[in-house]
Amino acid sequence: MIARPPASDLAGDLAPAPVAPAILLAGVVKRYGAHRALAGVDLQVQRGEKVVICGPSGSGKSTLIRCINALERHDGGRIVVNGIELTGDEGTVQDIRQEVGMVFQHFNLFPHLTALENCMLAPQLNRGLSKAQAEKLAMAHLERVHLADQARKYPARLSGGQQQRVAIARALCMEPRILLFDEPTSALDPEMVKEVLGVIEELAASGVTMVCVTHEMGFARRVADRCVFMDRGEIVEEGGAQDFFDAPKSERLRHFLAQILR
Amino acid sequence: MTNLSLADLAGYLRQLGEGALITLELFFASFTLAFVLGVLIGVVTLSRNRFIRAAWRVYASVFMGVPSLLVIFLIFYGGSAMLAAVLGEFGARIDISPFGAGVAALGIVYAAYIAELVRGAIENLPKGQFEGARALAIPPLIMWGRVILPQVMRLALPGLVNVWSFMLKETPLVSLAGLQDLVAAAKIAAGATKEPFLFFVATALLFIAFSAASLWLANRLEARLDRGQRRAPVRSSAQAEA
Repeated sequence: MIARPPASDLAGDLAPAPVAPAILLAGVVKRYGAHRALAGVDLQVQRGEKVVICGPSGSGKSTLIRCINALERHDGGRIVVNGIELTGDEGTVQDIRQEVGMVFQHFNLFPHLTALENCMLAPQLNRGLSKAQAEKLAMAHLERVHLADQARKYPARLSGGQQQRVAIARALCMEPRILLFDEPTSALDPEMVKEVLGVIEELAASGVTMVCVTHEMGFARRVADRCVFMDRGEIVEEGGAQDFFDAPKSERLRHFLAQILR
Repeated sequence: MTNLSLADLAGYLRQLGEGALITLELFFASFTLAFVLGVLIGVVTLSRNRFIRAAWRVYASVFMGVPSLLVIFLIFYGGSAMLAAVLGEFGARIDISPFGAGVAALGIVYAAYIAELVRGAIENLPKGQFEGARALAIPPLIMWGRVILPQVMRLALPGLVNVWSFMLKETPLVSLAGLQDLVAAAKIAAGATKEPFLFFVATALLFIAFSAASLWLANRLEARLDRGQRRAPVRSSAQAEA
């Protein structure tokens, strides 16, 4: 993790203005009936930081990132995204979703719209772009994920890897400051994982804030500023990718790594 | 054709044609009402709210359980009284025509069936479709209009075509409340000319023509709603190796 002293300690002339973290979670609790999916999670993600979250299934990692853009409503604790506190108010939810792009395990493209139309829909509605402007923007982002030539195709005619890249372009068209990835490669055939991770790595280099739930360890080593291990609804261990994978401190993380490396 | 002059025949056929127009008007008006109401009810009853669910159960059991003819009669003969009760003085002055009663009755009855279809289709959509739209901050009304309902219509289309056909065949019931529709015209012509076979067969042929037109329309709609559904042809291994 890159050390970031509190703003008050920065006495030098070059001190940047105080920067709020991109994402702040404090004591976040999420219950499903009697089950506590999140049992009081504290996590701060700085602007531009890349955080990888891993953990066994049912550990709460997906729930955690789905709480950040209010696809799941948290039952306790605080969530602040880009300085906006997530309350029950529908207006703040929409504000946060404008700033946060999300990429899903199963892509969630709209099957009755072409790749291009999938990308154009939200910018036209939310950012007031004309059709021509939205199309230009969408083509630019499809170009960025190397799919400009497939823009007029419907999702069913694209491979899984291509669909996921369209989904990434669709999220980028909102020009979000934060990107959330919920196991973006878990539903892909092995030979398509690389092209999707490649695109995400290119994005990471652009300075956007990223939180990615994944078990792709090579990817985590190359991209993550920080890795977070979750188990049973809580954060058990976190650290830089190197230490995290090579010298895990907790027994639970050692056990987990042994499982996925087997 | 014993004692039916050509002029008489032409006159009765013209009446049949006018009746057919009324049947079609009745059908399109009541189907439109049923469709709009049905989609609204289908969406609203997804709610877990107990009162909405209870209201829906009452609505569905009444209008799916009571014969359509009875609903038509209830609205035609009892409608003015009901309106008077609801709207007072103003409602008492509204006269309900057989056409209005028919549209209201068929619309309300078949809205229940369409609501069932629509709700089933919505529940069969992957949850990811809703989440994808929500994550993109697409406002709810637009999500329904642009993302969810186009897909729901594709899933519900076969059922909707069934409802469409049933409704078309139920329209003659409204003639029993006095509407001069196709079947009423046929009955008059058959009685007056003593040629029941001729006029009822002609009427049946007209209904068959309507059905054929409906099927043609349904196929066009299906082709449109199915866009994006066809998968790319899978290359066989032989081709891949070649």
